[in-house]
Amino acid sequence: MRLAREDRFGDIEPLLGLVEKPSRYLDHEWGVCEDQDGPFHTCLIYADVYEVGQPNLGLAILYDELNAQQGFSCERAYLPWVDMADLMREHGVPMLSLETSSPVASFDIVGFTLAHELVCTNVLEALDLAGIALRSDERDEDDPLVIAGGPSAWNCEPLAPALDAVLLGDGEGALVEMARCVRDARDEGLSRGQILLRLAQLDGVYVPSLYDVVVDKTSTRWGYAVPKEGTGAPAMVRKHCIPDLASTDPAVQRIVPYMSVVQDRFAVEVLRGCARGCRFCQAGMTYRPVRERPFEQVVPAVREGLRTSGFDECALTSLSTTDHSQCARMVRTLNEELASAGVRVSIPSQRLDSFGVEMATAVGSSRKAGLTFAPEAGSQRLRDVINKNVTERDLEFAVTNAFKSGYRRMKLYFMMGLPTETDEDLLGIPRLAEDVLRMGREILGPRAKVSVSISVAVFVPKCHTPFQWAGQLPLEEVHRRQQLMLHAATDRALRVSYHGSWPSLVEGVLSKMGRAGFDLILAAWRLGCRFDAWSDQFDFDAWNQAAAEVGLNLEDVACETFDLEARLPWDHTSPGVSKGYLQREWRRAMSAEVTPDCTFTSCTGCGVCPSLGVSNVLAGERA
Amino acid sequence: MSTLPPNACRLRVRYVKDGRLAYLGHLEVMQTVMRSVRRSGVPFEVGNGFARRMRIQFSQALPVGASSRGEYYDLLLSDPLDEQEALEALRLASPKALAPNAAMLLPRRVPALEAWADFSRWKVCVRGLSMDAEEFAARVQELREQDVLRFMRGEKERSISLAQTLVSCEASDVANGIDLVLQTRHSSQGSLRPAVLVNAVCGVAPLRVCRMGQWHLADDGYLIDPMTRGE
Repeated sequence: MRLAREDRFGDIEPLLGLVEKPSRYLDHEWGVCEDQDGPFHTCLIYADVYEVGQPNLGLAILYDELNAQQGFSCERAYLPWVDMADLMREHGVPMLSLETSSPVASFDIVGFTLAHELVCTNVLEALDLAGIALRSDERDEDDPLVIAGGPSAWNCEPLAPALDAVLLGDGEGALVEMARCVRDARDEGLSRGQILLRLAQLDGVYVPSLYDVVVDKTSTRWGYAVPKEGTGAPAMVRKHCIPDLASTDPAVQRIVPYMSVVQDRFAVEVLRGCARGCRFCQAGMTYRPVRERPFEQVVPAVREGLRTSGFDECALTSLSTTDHSQCARMVRTLNEELASAGVRVSIPSQRLDSFGVEMATAVGSSRKAGLTFAPEAGSQRLRDVINKNVTERDLEFAVTNAFKSGYRRMKLYFMMGLPTETDEDLLGIPRLAEDVLRMGREILGPRAKVSVSISVAVFVPKCHTPFQWAGQLPLEEVHRRQQLMLHAATDRALRVSYHGSWPSLVEGVLSKMGRAGFDLILAAWRLGCRFDAWSDQFDFDAWNQAAAEVGLNLEDVACETFDLEARLPWDHTSPGVSKGYLQREWRRAMSAEVTPDCTFTSCTGCGVCPSLGVSNVLAGERA
Repeated sequence: MSTLPPNACRLRVRYVKDGRLAYLGHLEVMQTVMRSVRRSGVPFEVGNGFARRMRIQFSQALPVGASSRGEYYDLLLSDPLDEQEALEALRLASPKALAPNAAMLLPRRVPALEAWADFSRWKVCVRGLSMDAEEFAARVQELREQDVLRFMRGEKERSISLAQTLVSCEASDVANGIDLVLQTRHSSQGSLRPAVLVNAVCGVAPLRVCRMGQWHLADDGYLIDPMTRGE
């Protein structure tokens, strides 16, 4: 039922003194859009707590765009933490937006960012707390349209029954089009069903209810989706793609939070897309082509953003900032300009193969706390399998330069359970880390406090990647390999940490399943699962119980391999990368053949440019 | 002691904490004020330490949920600036509920604000009580005679000396509860939070806390306003 649009801050104010971190619920931050007159109202929800969701750049882009449109307003909402959610239920207070404290169920459109698979139960928690029916087919004519997008929308099938529409690809322009479409259709008096038919005609919009799921011998047990007859829905929904990042506003992060948030800094997206071609990486496949934002746009945007926000740190963000053809110049310019004002410049990721002396010095001039590299695998053979085009010489070169620049701490990211992985590959991880330690001690002296941390995640096969057919490692085997590695890491300056194997298993399940996954998510949520990405909240027993209730075994689902020719649950959506390319990459992986980056060499035939009518946009020559 | 650049001078600013921003924690207030200073364009000094932080000092932390009519910070300016001009720039760059309302240039070296402004006056509105002001006052007197007040903060037991931290407590009856005016003094032991005293007297009760002002309690017993020139 659509609730009345009214300010209900008075309902949660008495609860603020009873909860942890009341600043999550205050709004009125600097830079917030106060004019929320609409009359068409949208609410974007990041289904996690404020401090996790607020720095999300995607949400900031869409918030800005929608609020800039005449007649539209856009507010934010974050999922209340468990203490507040329980109190709100106890006091009959529905989930509210931040800007006007209006009930989420009073909006015309409610949009979720699907940041990762483990957010699924939080989406249901948010809908329930808002008083919106969990299934799209149970919603009334006047209820908000529930839409979703974001990096994890590529296999949204397990959540599809909860979603009226899904936006695939870049949100710029597309979300405004969706909002206009809904507004115009409502003005014309169209029914909810007719509105969905219209939405399905928009570029990049997938309307799950217009598709049937067919299970046959050409598919996996989760089936594939085909458009219902007479709906006009496309057989293949291709992503919406903006051809040039420079055509978008670089300084969208206008809201300055009161509380400390996970990325507490002013961020400018300097680059979208990555063509390195790591075969496990979903973002690397789904965000193509590569589009660089030029120096001339980035540097003034950082200056202006810092001036108007007051942040004391800026970040040049992207999937691989050091690949930007003007990265060194941008970092050097900003460092020189900002250091005297106590402003730090940061780059979220350093790639081993492009991190040269110049970048180490440029980044290191502002802070020398520690550096993070991601070799991902412990042996050259396995790095070739995953197409991580990094050699031990690259690592040695980068680490040597980092130590010479004054760094003492290195953090190395790896994965375990990658296709074809052997114990020998795995033992290469502590060996590599000990080599890094040795190099540090050689350069800085035997008494220098050099430390190396290795963080090992469990590989989770993701859709639309060359490894989408792979099965996940069974739990018992994960634990055996963890012990194997732990016993091999003997140096006391070496710290080893693991990502939880159980949440990874659930992530694998939700990455693999089709629409039938909704019953599992619903059962888990009913058993109390929420905030599954939080280790203190994650309840593996409840997930196992939920799986048993719907006749599944979590390990069976996650560890299943798919036939290379099988029709997959997500085959009706496309980020532009062709299935043929992914199959070819799988075969090349099995023979440890590497594929180069098309921004450094020539086209590798992924299919993005011809199918989407776009191409790589580089601001300069990549080195 | 760190060295001060030749042009450096100190600006003392008084600001409020009001409305829903009463629910900000002290670290959140500090961060917000520092960002407001950066936005204002007021020229500030940056420390030469590892983290290169803004050189700013704050008065005593206010409990989460408490509002205030008089909070203070001392900002080290890198260049001299007219105090009214600075106040206006800071006001325009601050959230309304944390708006500065007075600014004054100080001698370059002054005692650390947090320790110096050691005296607070509070107004506390307690509602839904079964006791009247007289009973409340009597109970406070009993606690003062016991001196040490033990209370829980989170899962840890803490204690504080009322003799050292509670200067006075006046209670008056109002329509649906009582209003209190408390005067507290920061000691080497810490400071007494009004909610701790109220909870010790009558258990957890709905209350609103506002710090009415802060002063320095001089050796001769006089209260010195932080915005008094010459201090």
